[in-house]
Parts: sequence; structure tokens; C-alpha cells
Amino acid sequence: MSGLRILGIGSPSGDDQAGWLTVDALLAGGVQTTADEILIQKLDRPGATLIPLLDGAAWVILIDAMQSHSPVGRIRRFGTEDWPAYRHGLSSHGFGVLDALALARELDSLPCRIDLYGIEIGSANPGEPARNEIHAAAQQLARHIAADLSAALPRAIRAPDSIPTVRN
Amino acid sequence: MTEQKRTVAIHVPVLARVEGEGALDLRIDNGKIAELRLRIFEPPRFFEKFLEGRHYTEIPDMVARICGICPVAYQVTAAQALEQLFGVELDPWAHAMRRVFYCGEWIQSHSLHIHLLAAPDFFGCNSAIELARIAPDEVRRGLRIQALGNELMDLFGARSVHPVGVRVGGFHGAPAPVRIDAIRDKLRAALPEAEALIRWTAGIAVPQDDQAFVSVAMRHPVDYAIERGQIGASDGLRIGAEAFDDHFSERHEPHSTALFSTYHQQPYLVGPLARLNLNHDRLPERVKALLAEAGLVLPSRNLFHSLVARAVEILLALHEALRLLDGYRLPDSSSVPVTPRAGVAYGCTEAPRGLLWHRYEMDDAGCVVNARIVPPTSQNQGRIEEDLRLSLLAFGLDHPDDALRLHCEQVIRNYDPCISCATHFLRMKVERA
Repeated sequence: MSGLRILGIGSPSGDDQAGWLTVDALLAGGVQTTADEILIQKLDRPGATLIPLLDGAAWVILIDAMQSHSPVGRIRRFGTEDWPAYRHGLSSHGFGVLDALALARELDSLPCRIDLYGIEIGSANPGEPARNEIHAAAQQLARHIAADLSAALPRAIRAPDSIPTVRN
Repeated sequence: MTEQKRTVAIHVPVLARVEGEGALDLRIDNGKIAELRLRIFEPPRFFEKFLEGRHYTEIPDMVARICGICPVAYQVTAAQALEQLFGVELDPWAHAMRRVFYCGEWIQSHSLHIHLLAAPDFFGCNSAIELARIAPDEVRRGLRIQALGNELMDLFGARSVHPVGVRVGGFHGAPAPVRIDAIRDKLRAALPEAEALIRWTAGIAVPQDDQAFVSVAMRHPVDYAIERGQIGASDGLRIGAEAFDDHFSERHEPHSTALFSTYHQQPYLVGPLARLNLNHDRLPERVKALLAEAGLVLPSRNLFHSLVARAVEILLALHEALRLLDGYRLPDSSSVPVTPRAGVAYGCTEAPRGLLWHRYEMDDAGCVVNARIVPPTSQNQGRIEEDLRLSLLAFGLDHPDDALRLHCEQVIRNYDPCISCATHFLRMKVERA
């Protein structure tokens, strides 16, 4: 299993693709999926199945959509101390990403480093594309993550500056 | 008079992640239950209406969207109903792999329910996260089993959430033998884990309850019925899917957006315990031996045995998947040609939560004229209310509100209802006079 996992969480519904778009932007920007130590994956509402994906990883980067009445496209990074306040968020079958992370913590399955990012979304209607603000936020977050990767794992990325920008 | 409310714990926006919500109203007057209503206010689905005018080739993928946990049940039921109407004879490979695909869904759904939804109740925990503090190895095992079920679904459906593998006439593709070899190793490795799970669930202290009810489940001459068989009942009924309306009826109640089903005007049980009650003689010998070791006497009249029934069905599903994948070969084609015809199609299978029945009226172009789908949760709704009433009386009505609420939640979770599946956010109003 790879030591670094980048997991974009979402669904095909409108802005809820935020996590997937960030993964797309990272891949387009040259993050090396072929490097043995890196797994990059898009997940569709994983629920508890997120936990096995954390097992054995040293560093996990998670990107998901969030709704907190902030401007659409705002990016927020959540520290572990923030998790309890957000447990009752959007989820499938009452078991969302933060529930999965909390359970993983109880099972000692959390990696040493976990970066959880949320992108503020608006509507998430099935069949609709994500709005421009979400595309832009995904690009911005991908550049930020790529810079992190470049500093920590130079072999993981070809050229962090190559992620294209999007004009709204 | 006291009143207690518990608000929904999940903020549900307009997203495809919504599974709905339920509530319970209980009024006790002079130590007697004056009112007990399980309210389901999940928005109406309209799925049957969405299907009208759609071509038969679209139906399996559309109905898979009805449930994120049991999409295979909807796909397979729809496909088989239409195949029967169109006179399609599946390749034996497709027959067998449909059952394997379905086994994956039973494994993941049952393991999810046991470990994340139901088991915490019996250990005084509010959630699986709390349960993991006192039973971490068991929770880890449950997650491994659930992941294996998902992997099996992914193998045939391309993904475990809303899979897309099934088509009318078979499958869209066949997994490569190398992938089958890999999953067979995992299935074999999971057998002792599933056996340990049965012992664990059988050892959990559950309330003693004894209720009279009719169990309804499919029955097959040879197999433990999953994807084929007749509709059976514990009173001896044996009918084909087309005769469902002669014995079962649905009615609307003002307090629920889900229809109530009755069998000869009475509530009835569908789901794992109903299946086990009717079909325990069809279990593999090894599973029967474990049941005997666990001391579970069947048929059971205690709904709290649903927990161990799910564990038994996980082991059964592992055995079945292994048996059917033994000697796996790539078929010449993963599907057979289909020519639509007009008529009425009926189908039923055993979804993880119980009997699932479909009816489609089709035109000669292969498009849906009208559709009707009867899911397990609506069939169990009347039984849940009946169970709550009897179970509360046996439990005693003089307990504090919190204890009554917990007991009611436990009873409801036995059924694994699809009212958000996690009924931890049950809102309960108690009035005492």
C-alpha cells in the first residue's frame, strides 16, 4: 500500500464534485500517480469504506464538499480538533466522512498526518455541472496541495506550477 | 404530562445522500399505550413515475438509484422480471454470477447494519465509534467483511455504489479470471471471520421477546432463496410473483409517506429473520452446525434475533459466492440477445432487508407503460408498529422516557429500515396522562 493517499470525495451532482475536480486538477498538474508511494482516488460517498483506505498510510489528504453558509468556493482546512463540531454533517446513512475518521481514530487506523480540506458548495443537484467558483476553488486547492507535495515529496510531482488557472 | 423530543442529528440538504427520516409518537394514558405511530416522512420517491416511458435497457441503471445500500436487489429484480416477460433464457454463467453479485450486497449491507447500526445498542453505546472503544477487534472485523462485500459488488458492477454491471439479458461484461482468483482467496480467508461473527452475535445478550407473526420470504426448492424462488409464508403460502396482489395489499396512512403492506389484512415480517425462519433447512451443513452451536432455535419469534440472522446470512453468502466461483470461466458472451414484447412483467428477489417486488407493464417497443415497486421497508412498517406495541408492553411502560426511547429505537433498528437506515436520529414524543 502506498504511503500517501489523496482522496477526493464527492458525487456526480453539481457542486458536490468539488473533491473530484481537485483530484482532476492534481492529475492534470502532474502529480505522479505512477509513483509507488502515492495513491490518488476519487470516492463516491464512501461511508465506512473510507476506513480501510486509511490503513497503513503515512499521510492522507482528503478533499470533500461542505456547506457552512460561507461563500461558495471558500476552502477550509480542518484540524482533528475541529472534527467533533462537524460530525453531524452531510452524509449517507448517517455515517459521513468525519464519522469514518472518528471511528478510524478509535481503531488506531489514522495516518500520522491527515489533511482534511472542505470546499464550500452551493446546490448539488443531480445532472448539473459544478459552477465556476467550484472549478476555481478546486484549481486553487490543487495548487496548494501540489506545493505541499513538492516540498515533502519532490519526486511526487512533475511541475507544481503547471496546474492551469481558471478565470471566472 | 412530559414531552420529549429529539431532533434529527443529520442536516439533510437537497443532496442525493438523503435517505429520509423517521419519528415515533407514543402516548401513554394511565399506564396504557393510547397512541403509537411510526412516522416516515421521507419524501415520496416518484421512481415508478420516472420509469414511465423509459426503454427497458435503461431500467436496471435507473432502479439502482433507489437505494445506495441495496442497488443490486433493485437491478436484479427489474432485469429478471423483464427477462421473464421477454422470454429471455440466461446463460448459466449469468444466472450464477447474478447470485454471486447479490451475495456481495448481502455481505456488505448486513455487516454495515450489524456493526455500525445495531450492535452499539446492545453494548450501551450510542454509536459504532463508542463500540469501537470496547470491541475494537470486532468492529475492525466487521469493516473488513463489509469491504469484502463491496469488493464483490465492484467486481461485477464496476463500482459498489449504484453499480452498472447488470443489463437485461445478463451482464455488460465478465470479470477476468485473475480477479476472480484474487477474490476467492479473500472469500476463503473471510470464512473463519464470519464464523466468529456468528458466535459473537449469538453471545450478545438481547431482550427476550416472544411474538406471534407471519414470516414472508422467498422459498426455492434447493437453494437458500436470494435471487429466485417463489414467495412463501410461514402459514404455508407458496405463490409466484404474479400472484402477489391476490394476497398482499398496500394502503396509505396519513402519518407515513411510505405505504403500509398487509398480508391477508395482517402485518407480516420480511427480512433476515423471516428468511431464516422459512429457509434454515436450505443452509449449508457447516452453517447449520454453527447455528446449532449458537443455540438459536428456529423458527424464532424474537425479532432481536435478527442480529444473529444477519451474521448467519453473511456466512451463507460467503459459502455461496465461493461455491459459484469455483471453476469460474469466461463466458463466450456475458449477455444474450433480447427482443422486447408487450405485456406485464413481475419479479421478486430477497433484498438484504427483505422481499422486493416489481411489476412493469411494457409496450411492444420495450418501454415502460407503468411500474410498481414494493420495497421491504414498507412491507415491514405495520409489523414494526405491532412489534413496538408488544415489545413495549413486555418491557414495561413505567421506565423513564430515555429508556423507552432506547428500547423503541432498538426494536426499530432490528428491521434495518431504510428510513435513513441509521435511525439513531429517531425523534420521539412521549405524552403521559
